[in-house]
Amino acid sequence: METNYETIVIGGGVVGSGIAYHLSERYKEGVLVLDKKYPMSGTSGSTQAWVWVHNKTPSWYAEFSMYSAELYPYLSKKIGDVEYKRTGGLSPFFNESDREKAQKLAESYRKIGIKIKVLSREEVLEKEPYMNPEVAGATYSSIDGNVNPFRLIDMYMRAAKRNGVRYSTYNKVTEIKKQDGKYSVVSDKGAFECKNLILAGGTWSREIGDMLGVKIPVNQLRGQILVSEPLKPFLNFTISGLRQANNGEVLMGYSMEEAGFNRATTLDVIQETANMAVQYVPGLRKAKIVRAFSGIRAMPEDGFPILGKVPGQENLYVAATHSGVTLSPLIGTLLTELIMDGETSIPIDRYSLSRFGESEFY
Amino acid sequence: MKTDVLIIGGGPAGLSTAIETASRGLDVTIVDEASKLGGQLNQQTQALRPLPSLYESMRGFELANKLIEQIKDYNVRQLLNHRVVGFYADGSAGITDEENVFPVNAKKIIVASGAAEKAVAFPKWTLPGIMTIGAAQTLINRDFVMPGREAVIVGSSDFAMETAIQLMDVGIRVKAIIEKQSGALAKEQEKVRELSRSGIPFYFNSFIKEARGNGQVEQIDVALPDDVITLNVDLVCMDGGRAPILDVLYQLGCSFGFQEELGGWIPQYNNRFQTDREDVFIAGNAAGISTHGPLLLTGMIAGISASEELQAISALEAHEIREALWKELELLEDKEMHSGRVKHLEKFANPVLKDQFIY
Ligand SMILES: Cc1cc2nc3c(=O)[nH]c(=O)nc-3n(C[C@H](O)[C@H](O)[C@H](O)COP(=O)(O)OP(=O)(O)OC[C@H]3O[C@@H](n4cnc5c(N)ncnc54)[C@H](O)[C@@H]3O)c2cc1C
Repeated sequence: METNYETIVIGGGVVGSGIAYHLSERYKEGVLVLDKKYPMSGTSGSTQAWVWVHNKTPSWYAEFSMYSAELYPYLSKKIGDVEYKRTGGLSPFFNESDREKAQKLAESYRKIGIKIKVLSREEVLEKEPYMNPEVAGATYSSIDGNVNPFRLIDMYMRAAKRNGVRYSTYNKVTEIKKQDGKYSVVSDKGAFECKNLILAGGTWSREIGDMLGVKIPVNQLRGQILVSEPLKPFLNFTISGLRQANNGEVLMGYSMEEAGFNRATTLDVIQETANMAVQYVPGLRKAKIVRAFSGIRAMPEDGFPILGKVPGQENLYVAATHSGVTLSPLIGTLLTELIMDGETSIPIDRYSLSRFGESEFY
Repeated sequence: MKTDVLIIGGGPAGLSTAIETASRGLDVTIVDEASKLGGQLNQQTQALRPLPSLYESMRGFELANKLIEQIKDYNVRQLLNHRVVGFYADGSAGITDEENVFPVNAKKIIVASGAAEKAVAFPKWTLPGIMTIGAAQTLINRDFVMPGREAVIVGSSDFAMETAIQLMDVGIRVKAIIEKQSGALAKEQEKVRELSRSGIPFYFNSFIKEARGNGQVEQIDVALPDDVITLNVDLVCMDGGRAPILDVLYQLGCSFGFQEELGGWIPQYNNRFQTDREDVFIAGNAAGISTHGPLLLTGMIAGISASEELQAISALEAHEIREALWKELELLEDKEMHSGRVKHLEKFANPVLKDQFIY
């Protein structure tokens, strides 16, 4: 296998593969993606996969998410059907007292051009007839939707490979050395050299950063999801907490717990999740749960994406984020611009690793 | 709810492990999704042999009744029509009565979840009337329902031969035995001869090419080595072998290894039938597919080992009983299976699949 590359991406999840694909649109050779298992073995294979904008705060982060959501229809045209559906998103509330909070959110979003409507009980039930009739209202945004994460990554990989990108899987990076202005990436299957190095190791970003003496403050946060048997299509929207996939399965869950890298599921959270789902959509009480799975979110210390150049290191880039499914087309686009043109069409300074202060080097 | 020992599965292995633990004064809870203890024994009318020296040879359902009778002497809590559906963060088992889920906190868990039959797929194999041999046996012996009138059997293991004889006993016409291999696989060749004598053709190197029927199987095409024949049948019994049921062990985070002779992937365990999750023991087919005698013995060993850890029996006594049970196991168990089991034990320290829930 060729050992010299222009650019190496460590991590082939939705973030790494998104970057590799977008890079491959600009140059045809010289990109290698390394993954310690295979793309989708990480967080990208155990996700809800909403493409979700509304009720992200503060509004600048919602705006960033919106730009990415807007790229999705175009992305599907380029790489193929990824079962992206712009269903619209509903965030129900059950207390009239929450209406004011919802109105404030809508107000702050209006300024940045994201339209959020605060719906009455009747409007919610008209849009989503299976919603609990005790709902007080909901915020609604038309830009939200969801995607099939497996198809998404598969299509990214296929398109990237067609454009000359190489993948090396079951190949863990164990050491990174810098010599003569190049990076030498040592992996289970040998050493590779490159000019540009992109760290897209998701929830493992901290340990990959350690190899270069760079602190990437990403923590682990477990999320558990329940999956129902396939049901006739009956949910129209992506509801914060659940969605119905194309094959009829309903995915439920929005849990967050600190459990390190332990991917087990627990009945504590499974029961909480089931109760939440039944509160939202009482009819789900009759549905059978066929499996539960969990994923480990890559959670930057302050909750916001870490994107861009690693300060003080030449040709070293990092992309580590929660909501990587939502953000992947935008992250892919912007990192490609950064590498090829030296600047980005949308500013990303706010997401720089430098915000964590000097402590990033040791 | 709290208990010393939670036994998951109330078949022969689960019951024998219950006797070993409960008879030593431990608080024992046994959970089974069926409405009756005994597991697969309940529909087995064949004489079982060899059984451990404690038991004279008897039929499956008789053994079930005997074991059930024995645990009545002790105070074993029975959760019938209940299932283990997962585990809480603190390690308690979550058990459902199909209405609610409640936690059961056990000091030791013994998993005796048994095995499930594997199907043999061919086009239209989902038509009603096409079932596993175990399902046919359940219908005849437990539910007293005739599954059909004209049958074929796919497979020629001992279990398949036994089922063929049982079908004939209730007046079902067995039209053929279809076997992929070049000869009958049953160890008890006398059953094969008995079937041949009654005029049932054995088609070797053959398989079902396709089934047809309107709402239920009516016809099958059998591919013989140099011909395809069509048979009119309303019952197809298939024997795809059995695989251990491992869901609970997977959820408990046990390590696994692959052992062909024991049915494929099974948890790693040591000679105490203890997994690498120290509070979790294993017994019966879940520890590797075997025959009735050995299954009872594995349950006894697991029960003795759990009792020892709960200090209901001295280490010395436990050691001696275990030695004796292992000797008997070696004697009773098919040679190939037993050597597989010994090989499997050796891999305990180096499992192939470990920490499957740790990223
Ligand atoms: C339960 C749950 C629900 C979620 N819901 C949503 C949602 O609705 N919408 C949304 O946008 N996001 C959601 N997320 C978050 C989203 O799934 C993640 O942000 C995204 O998948 C991260 O992608 P990634 O490529 O960074 O990480 P990963 O997919 O984990 O990819 C990282 C890759 O790096 C590889 N790697 C790591 N270390 C090495 C090494 N040393 N050498 C080689 N390779 C290495 C790994 O094998 C892995 O494949 C959810 C997450 C969870 C857990």
